[in-house]
Amino acid sequence: MILDLLQYAIKQAEALGASDAEAYAAINNESEVFIENNDVKQAKSQSTSSIGVRVVLDGSIGFYSTNDLAKSRIRDAAAMAIKVAHASPKDKHNILPRKSKSKLVRGIYDRNAESFQTLDAARMAAEMLKAAKSYDSRVSVDSGNFSAQVATDALANSNGIELKERTSVFSWSIMGMAIENTEISSFDYQVGGSHYVKDINVSNTAGEFAETVVKSLGTRKIEESFKGEMLLTPMAAKEMIEEVVAHAINSDAVQKKSSHFAGKIGRQVASDLLTIEDDATNVEGLNASSFDREGVFHRRNVVIEKGILKKFLYNTHTASKDGVKSTGNAGGSTSSPPTVSTTNFLVKPMRSSVDKLVSEIDKGIIISRFSGNVDPVNGDFSGVVKGGQLIMNGTIKYSVKEVMVAGNVFDALRRLNGISRERKVIYDSILPYMRFDGISFTTG
Amino acid sequence: MMRNGAQVADSLRLLISSSKSATYVEARYHSRVGSEVNFVNGELERIRVVENAGCGIRVLVDGCWGFTSTSNISNETLKESLSQAISAARILARTKKNKVKGLIESKMITGTFRTSANSGNLSDISIEQKVQVTKEAEKEARSNRLIKTASCTYREMLDHKVIINSDGADIEIHDSKPEFSVTAIARKASQSATAHEGVGITGGWNDLFKKKSHLEYAYTASARAAKLLDARHVSGEKSTVILDPAMVGLLSHEAIGHTVEADFVLSGSVVKDKIGSKVASDLVTLVDSGRSEIAGNAGGTIIVDDEGVAAERTAIIEKGTLKSFLHNRESAMIFGTASTGNARAFQYSDDPLIRMRNTYIEPGEDKLNDMIKETKHGYIIKGARNGQADANGEFMFGAEEVYLIENGEVKELLRGASISGNAFEVLHSVDMVGNEFQYDIGTGYCGKYQPAKVDGGGPHIRCTAMIGGLQE
Repeated sequence: MILDLLQYAIKQAEALGASDAEAYAAINNESEVFIENNDVKQAKSQSTSSIGVRVVLDGSIGFYSTNDLAKSRIRDAAAMAIKVAHASPKDKHNILPRKSKSKLVRGIYDRNAESFQTLDAARMAAEMLKAAKSYDSRVSVDSGNFSAQVATDALANSNGIELKERTSVFSWSIMGMAIENTEISSFDYQVGGSHYVKDINVSNTAGEFAETVVKSLGTRKIEESFKGEMLLTPMAAKEMIEEVVAHAINSDAVQKKSSHFAGKIGRQVASDLLTIEDDATNVEGLNASSFDREGVFHRRNVVIEKGILKKFLYNTHTASKDGVKSTGNAGGSTSSPPTVSTTNFLVKPMRSSVDKLVSEIDKGIIISRFSGNVDPVNGDFSGVVKGGQLIMNGTIKYSVKEVMVAGNVFDALRRLNGISRERKVIYDSILPYMRFDGISFTTG
Repeated sequence: MMRNGAQVADSLRLLISSSKSATYVEARYHSRVGSEVNFVNGELERIRVVENAGCGIRVLVDGCWGFTSTSNISNETLKESLSQAISAARILARTKKNKVKGLIESKMITGTFRTSANSGNLSDISIEQKVQVTKEAEKEARSNRLIKTASCTYREMLDHKVIINSDGADIEIHDSKPEFSVTAIARKASQSATAHEGVGITGGWNDLFKKKSHLEYAYTASARAAKLLDARHVSGEKSTVILDPAMVGLLSHEAIGHTVEADFVLSGSVVKDKIGSKVASDLVTLVDSGRSEIAGNAGGTIIVDDEGVAAERTAIIEKGTLKSFLHNRESAMIFGTASTGNARAFQYSDDPLIRMRNTYIEPGEDKLNDMIKETKHGYIIKGARNGQADANGEFMFGAEEVYLIENGEVKELLRGASISGNAFEVLHSVDMVGNEFQYDIGTGYCGKYQPAKVDGGGPHIRCTAMIGGLQE
C-alpha cells in the first residue's frame, strides 16, 4: 500500500518531465512518557507519516515533503518538487542509485513491540525513576523519558529500487543532579536503548546516572592549572571526539575542503590504538538498518584502522564526484534530500580495563561529560569539565569543579594512549573509555 | 497547503465542546511551510520545501497530562485522538505521585494575530530570488582568496496556527520567521579559522535585509575569518571582559534564562529560593518577552503563547533583584503567581513546554568607548557561538573573536575561546552597561526536547569571567 503511493509519486514526477524521481516515506508509531522533577509528567502517543519527493530535471534537483499522504497531496508534492527543480542550478552528479542485491539486517525488529503500549512505557519510566531515587536520597531527577517506537521506512526510485523495512527502537534517558544542603552537583545525563523488549534495562542507566551525580558532590577546585592526562568516559568521548571525526571522514566535508583528513587516505592520523568503524549492520547500535536514505544497502565501513585513515563515507552524489561507489551513508529524514552521515559510530575496544587506565595516570582528570565547543573543521575544543575527578599517582583523589579543558582533537588522537575493553552504547555510538596525554586543564 | 482558518476553528471548537470528562482540553492546529536554500563553494548543497500540518491535543485528566497529535484533522480523527489523549492521561494517573493541582486562571486571548510582515511577504518572494540571494552571498564570501570554504543558507518558517482551549482561548495566528547566515572558513598551511554572520528575525523579506544587505553579511564573515587566521590563542585567565550584544543575549538566555524556567526551578535550580534576593549588580535588568521590545523584529517574538496567554514582558531581574521565574499556567499555579506566557510548542506534534522568547539585558548609560577606555587589562568578547548552562549556575559559551585591551586601548585580535563562570557571580561583577541595544542571536534555536526559535541581545556589558585557553 505504501509502496503503491511511492510509485504513484514517481509516475507523477515523470509525467511532469522528471528524468529521475525518488519517493521516501516514513511511518512512525510512538508511545512516550516524560519524567520531570522526580515524577512522571506526561504520556504521549502518536502516529506520524510523511513523504519526501526528490526529482531530477535536466540535472537540476527539486525536493518537496509533506506529512499528508492523501493521493492528491502527493500529486501536489511531485508538482512542487518540479517547480523547485526549475529554480535550481544543474549538477551532473545529481543521480539516483541503481538496484543492488544484499541481505537484510536481522535483529532490529521485535514483534512484541507492536503490543508495547503507553501503559508499558509509563511502567518503565516509573521504574527508572525509582531506581535512581533509591540509589541515594540526594539524587534529584530533573527530566527523562522512555520512548517506544515502531518505524516503517519505504523507498522507491525510478531506477527500480523498491524497499521497505520495519524497525523497533526503545530508548530512554535520565538527567539531573545530586543535592546536599546548599550544594548542587554537576548535571549528568545517561541514555540507554534497545531494539528488543527483552533487552530493556532502565535500572542500569538510572544506577549509572545516580552514581555519577553523587560522586560529583563535595567538589573542590584544583590547586593549579596543569598539563596532564585526560580520561574520557564514553559519553564525554561522544561529546568531544565523535563529532570532529565524523566530520573529518565525511566525503562531503572532504570535497568542500573543510575536512582535516582531506588528502590523508593511507596516512597515520591517530595513535595506532585507534580503530573506528561506521556500521549500520551492527544491531547493538540503535541506528541499525538495512538500507540508507536513498536505498543503498548498508555495510561495515572501517574508516580508521590502527591509526591509519582507510576511507571516507559517501552517498551517491559525493561518490559520483569522486568516481567511487557509495558506502551506504546517505542520511536524513523524509523532510530533506539525502545528506552524508554516519550510521552507528564504533570505536574498537582494547584489552585494558578502565581501572587499569586510571592506575597508569600520574596526574590527570577523568571527564564524565564535556560541556563546551568543538570546532569540527580544525578540531579545536575548549570547555568545562563536568563530573570530573582528579587522579594523582594512579588513584582518584577528589571531584573537581570549575576546571576548563582545551586542546585540539586531531592532536589528541595522536596522543591517545589508552582504550578500555569496556564499551557503552549511546544510541548510535558504541564507545570505550579513551585516555590522552598532554592536555591543558585550567582553573580560575 | 493553507487550510481555511475559520473552518479549522469550527472543527476545533466542536471538539472542545464535545469533551466533558477532562479538566482541561486544548486543541492546537499548526501548519508550517518551511523552505531552505543552501549553497556551499559555488554549488547548491540543499534546496527543499517542507510542509508539516496537523493538530496537537493536550488534556488534563485526573491530575495528569495526556497528549496526542494527528495530521488528519477530520472531525472523526480529531475525536479519536482526543480519546487517546484522555486514556494516556488516565494511564499516567496510576503511577504519578504529585498530581497537577490545576492551571492558574489567566486572561484567555481571543482574536486573529499577525506578526509584523509589513514589508516583503515571504510567500510573495519567488524561490528563484531566494536561490539568487543565497548564491550571490556565498560567492561573495569566497572573493577573499584566503577563504577556502564558504556556505550560505536562507531559511524561512511560515506558520498558521489555530488554538482553542476549554478555558476560552480562541486564537488564529499567522507568523513569518526568515533567517539568513553565512559561514566562511579561511585556510593557510595547516591553520584554519571559521567566521559566521547572520540574522534571524520575525518579519518579512525586506526586514531581513534592513540592517545589512546579503553581500555585506558575506563580506563581513569572510573578512573576519581571514583576519582570525593569523590571530594567536588566548592564554586562560580570569579577567575583565566586555561582552558584545550577542554574547549578552547568550548569557541572558543560557546562563540565567534556563535557571529561571519554572519547571527547572521545581527540580532544584540554583535560584529556587532567591525571588526577592539580590542576584546581580544594580545595573542589571534582565527581561524575557514575547514582544519585540526596544528594537524591532526580534526572532523569538510570539504575541500569544500556546496556552492562549498573552506573551508579555517579564522582568526576571530588576535592578539586580530576582523578580520572576518564567511560567506556564501549571507552574504559575504551583508558585501562586500569574503565567508569564512562556508555554511554547515547536510543531503540531510537540506539546507546549516552558520556553524562552526574546531574552535580553536592558541598555544602560555607558558608551562603548568609555568602557574600553576604563579597562586596564581585559578582553572584548564577540560573536556568540553555542553555549550551555548547568543547574548550579556554571556556564560556558564560545566566542568567535576576542580582542585584547591594554591600558584602555584595543590591541590585537585573538582567536575564539570559551568563556565560563558562575552566571550569578558574573552578573554581580557587571560594572558598566552600554547604551546601544541590539538583538543578535536570532539565527539560534534553543533545544529542550524540541527546538524553539528564540532571540536575545542587549547592550555591551563589562564584567568579570574566566576566559579559557591553552596552557603553554
